[in-house]
Amino acid sequence: MLLELQFITEEEMNKRGQEEIVGFALIIIIVAVALLFLFSFYIRGNDEESAESYEVDSFLQSVLYYTTDCENFLGNFSVQELISECKSEERCSDERDSCEILNQTLREISGSSWQFGSDRPVSGYVFNVSVGGLELVSVQEGVQEGNFRNALQSVNSRGDSIEVSFRVYFK
Amino acid sequence: MNKKGQMKIQQMAFMLIAVTLLFVFVGIFFIKIMLSEVNQSAESLEEKNALLTVARLADSPEFSCGSAFGTSKSNCVDFDKVMSLSEISDRYSSFWGVEGINIRRIYPAIEGVCTTENYPDCGEINLFSEEGVGVSNFISLCRKSEQGNVCDVARITVYYGGGDE
Repeated sequence: MLLELQFITEEEMNKRGQEEIVGFALIIIIVAVALLFLFSFYIRGNDEESAESYEVDSFLQSVLYYTTDCENFLGNFSVQELISECKSEERCSDERDSCEILNQTLREISGSSWQFGSDRPVSGYVFNVSVGGLELVSVQEGVQEGNFRNALQSVNSRGDSIEVSFRVYFK
Repeated sequence: MNKKGQMKIQQMAFMLIAVTLLFVFVGIFFIKIMLSEVNQSAESLEEKNALLTVARLADSPEFSCGSAFGTSKSNCVDFDKVMSLSEISDRYSSFWGVEGINIRRIYPAIEGVCTTENYPDCGEINLFSEEGVGVSNFISLCRKSEQGNVCDVARITVYYGGGDE
């Protein structure tokens, strides 16, 4: 090996040094560019932004307190009570199906409160009601893509654990 | 030897430039990300502040349902109270520090401004004026009726004048 070194000229050593330095610089630059790409993809994530919205939360609350036209001998049911009635597959005093009324009521309230369309900022919404983990009612309208705001409420009604969620999509 | 030294200095210079550029790019990238997060947080906080101000008004004793409609409800406005308040609203024009308050029924939607003649079959109540910037939020609008407690979905809008008085 010592004999081999003797045959390496000064010029060759300079060239080797330069090559190594250039190679090192290239590696740093490539790694930096690769890291930047990775960071940009990581930060961007998906295009959807979601934010807990106080306004949507207030909307959910007001819907749960809404007095429906389904009643029994005690009086009219609120939406929260109607959900329990629907879960028990009960009927209103006028023999109408409680789940049908619940579905229709939620659809109409959502439609009146969050009007969507081509000339409006809202593009669509999803209203879900589940009891004990099982989906009871789902109302979906419009286009469910893009930025959204959602709210989730868990309530106990007549021993049932009810989860109500509402998600509204914006253009 | 001179050439060797010059070459080494040149190499060192290129290396320093490359490393500096690397740190500059990475630094700019992180600052951009941090600034955009701060902007989003500021906008979100501003919205929440405005909505909480509306909620505070809705939960004030002059508006709120309290326990009059069963269990205590938040974001609940007593329609009967507000209707009574609207008849003497001139006395309260500067009480809440707002330009105006509007309560509009969303569901069921009924047209018409509320008066003593058409109450409760009316759509909205205006207190003071509707001038200024409005911030609104959803509320339950409840009243007493022959059938018992009735609550509708409504929207309360609070108008702020802004500027100096």
